[in-house]
Amino acid sequence: MNYCNLITIFAFINLLVSIPHGYSNYVETKAGQFFSSGHTNNWAVLVCTSRFWFNYRHVANTLSVYRSVKRLGIPDSHIVLMLADDMACNYRNPKPATVFSHKNMELNVYGDDVEVDYRGYEVTVENFLRVLTGRLPPSTPRSKRLLSDDRSNILIYLTGHGGNGFLKFQDSEEISNMELADAFEQMWQKRRYNELLFIIDTCQGASMYERFYSPNLMALASSQVGEDSLSHQPDLGIGVHLMDKYTFYLLEFLEEVHPASQANMNDLFKVCPQSQCVSTPGHRTDLFQRDPGSVLITDFFGSVRKVEITKDTINLTSPVEPPIKRSGSSDIQIESLTYVDQLPVAEIIHQKPKQKDWHPPDGFILGLWTLILLVFFQTYGIKHLKHIF
Amino acid sequence: KTVCDLNLSSVLMNSNLVHRADSFFLATKMAAPLTLLLIVAVTIRAVLFRSSWAELISERVEVVSPLNAWKRVVEGLALLDLGVSPYSGDVFHETPFMIYLFHFVVDYAEIVFMVSPDLVFCLSRFLTSLKQKYALESDRYPADCLELLRSPKEMFYIPLKVAMFYLLNPFTILSCVAKSTCGLNNAIIALFILCTLKGSALLSGILLALATYQSIYPLTLFAPALLFFLQRLYIPVNLRRSSFWFFTLQYAFIYVGSLVVITGLSFFLLGSWDFIPSVYGFIFSVPDLTPNIGLFWYFFAEMFEHFRLFFICVFQINVFFYTIPLSIKLKEHPVFLIFMQIAIISIFKSYPTVGDVALYMAFLPAWSHLYRFLRNIFLVSCVLLACSALFPVLWHLWIYAGSANSNFYYAITLLFNFGQILLVSDYFYAYLRREHHLTHGLYLKKKDGTEATLVLK
Repeated sequence: MNYCNLITIFAFINLLVSIPHGYSNYVETKAGQFFSSGHTNNWAVLVCTSRFWFNYRHVANTLSVYRSVKRLGIPDSHIVLMLADDMACNYRNPKPATVFSHKNMELNVYGDDVEVDYRGYEVTVENFLRVLTGRLPPSTPRSKRLLSDDRSNILIYLTGHGGNGFLKFQDSEEISNMELADAFEQMWQKRRYNELLFIIDTCQGASMYERFYSPNLMALASSQVGEDSLSHQPDLGIGVHLMDKYTFYLLEFLEEVHPASQANMNDLFKVCPQSQCVSTPGHRTDLFQRDPGSVLITDFFGSVRKVEITKDTINLTSPVEPPIKRSGSSDIQIESLTYVDQLPVAEIIHQKPKQKDWHPPDGFILGLWTLILLVFFQTYGIKHLKHIF
Repeated sequence: KTVCDLNLSSVLMNSNLVHRADSFFLATKMAAPLTLLLIVAVTIRAVLFRSSWAELISERVEVVSPLNAWKRVVEGLALLDLGVSPYSGDVFHETPFMIYLFHFVVDYAEIVFMVSPDLVFCLSRFLTSLKQKYALESDRYPADCLELLRSPKEMFYIPLKVAMFYLLNPFTILSCVAKSTCGLNNAIIALFILCTLKGSALLSGILLALATYQSIYPLTLFAPALLFFLQRLYIPVNLRRSSFWFFTLQYAFIYVGSLVVITGLSFFLLGSWDFIPSVYGFIFSVPDLTPNIGLFWYFFAEMFEHFRLFFICVFQINVFFYTIPLSIKLKEHPVFLIFMQIAIISIFKSYPTVGDVALYMAFLPAWSHLYRFLRNIFLVSCVLLACSALFPVLWHLWIYAGSANSNFYYAITLLFNFGQILLVSDYFYAYLRREHHLTHGLYLKKKDGTEATLVLK
């Protein structure tokens, strides 16, 4: 009888002890997965580069992406919205304070709470690159800065008129694909992003991502080199084309996405096939480390905060699971991220300046004084030496 | 020749002999005023060195140029201490001999060092003037030119005046306080003149090579030195005579040989030929257009790149161009030719400073007997004084106050150079006129007996 009781008590005690242990194991696994995606915050840089009323659709493009991104959780403080012209309050707009994306004025993407950070003539190539690289004058307000860090996933959306290798800003200047690639490399060097998704909706948009060479970049474009991106539908009431085809279908796709959805990048690549878009959308994933199938849409378009409430303390002793590596060989070998070596300031400060004295070479001194002596004796004669000494 | 002439010539020859023997005594007799002068000069410089003006002066563009600024010397030596060639980076444009010289002197005794070029200069000037008067006496002058000739008494004080003109010249003082190496270049040229007048061809050739090595322009002094030696050795300047070519080749060989030796030695100092584009390329191609008192900077600041080479050539040829015509005209008067050449170099060189101006101005007391023939001396002195005063004013207005622009400074530069050119040409005119009077008599009469006027054609 006693043994039975003891055994029961022991089993019970074991059970009691193991339950929290098992629970903490579970939490630890979850914690391991918590950090597996690699990013902790999201940013978006949405740029419309065209001005004039007939480029209404570019502003509408940008505003629809803005709308989706905001809806999925990225706050205004993390969005840098650059619109080169004001369509909502344009004097040619028959419906002021609205920007429609669908004909018959179905969807007003302008809304009540649009925060435009760079407007009008502030949208220049220089400002765009400065935003990306962070090299802004100290007086720039926070709303105009891309304050990303090395755990940020950034979405960059560009739209406007472009060509093979360039994108036109304000009808007066251009940004080339090489400049863009260098800007991204600067961002990589300065650890300004964890992963970056680059979407461009212009004519021959694929040329803009051809030159990228920094890691963790994924790019999508609305058309290949040699193709034009076409606009979608005009609205006869407003009188201009309202959206571009690619962004229209992108918006349709994004309207289906909600913060908890598991839609991944492979679905995004399928947006707007040639049958719908006339141009062939392209994408580039060779620089991206993860498998696009494992990358959620909300990793870039939303700001999904991973929060787990637990009442126990958790010991994170086990190493964090690395992100899911893509299958197949990758050409780019990326070494583990480390900070650059700090300047050896301690060595410099406490060291007395070493005076490395330069001395004229002996041959020179010898030669020079020999010559001087020769000339001296030639002029004054050796017989005078008697008088000197 | 009249009896008067014979007497005159005998008197002169006697006085020559006397003077030759007495030169040493003369030197001692003048030792006291000379020492006083030296003390005054050194005091002025020392006072200025210790005051706060030294910094101000060493930054003035009229006094220092990229070629001879002291801070560039210090910078070049610091680069050398850091193990970098001092010629990298368009900072240092001194020759390697300067590096060698300053290497030991830069930390200490810079003041004494700066004073010594002045000492050397005034000493050599002094001795030069002593020697010089022998060249002026000649025994075939008509009688009424007695008043044109200088009596020994007048010429007694010339060396002292020359020394005074140089030591107490504000230009020299400024140049010395700014620690510009222009003083050293002037000292080398002065030593060269001294050796030339003493008759030592070897030393003269070597010093001329050294002066050319420092800045290329003393190359033009080859012709007057050659003419002086030819005159001294009584070799007629006749291109068909073999004796002329023989001596010319000798002298040229000494000159070119020592130039080659000096350049080769400087290669061995730093082990590279960097100094050639840095020093001589810099002088010739004038890349630095900092304003100075010369004529180059404004022209080349506003010039299109297309024409730059052409105008560089034109401007540089302008310096060397006057040698041949002047040598032909003044082949019997090489000492005056030296003065003219130095003046032309100082006016037309690519980076002139007031130190260069002081160099030929020190010569002026030696030609004090030409005073009666000078026509524009008042105008010239007013122009030079006014420009010297206006240089800092207009600089301030242009750079600091912003109410003037470079044209104002350029105008003053133009006027200053115009004044200098007028001075030089005036002295040239006076010299030629005196020579004319010496051969044709002082009071010229036209055929009908009225007083004639002399016109320089």
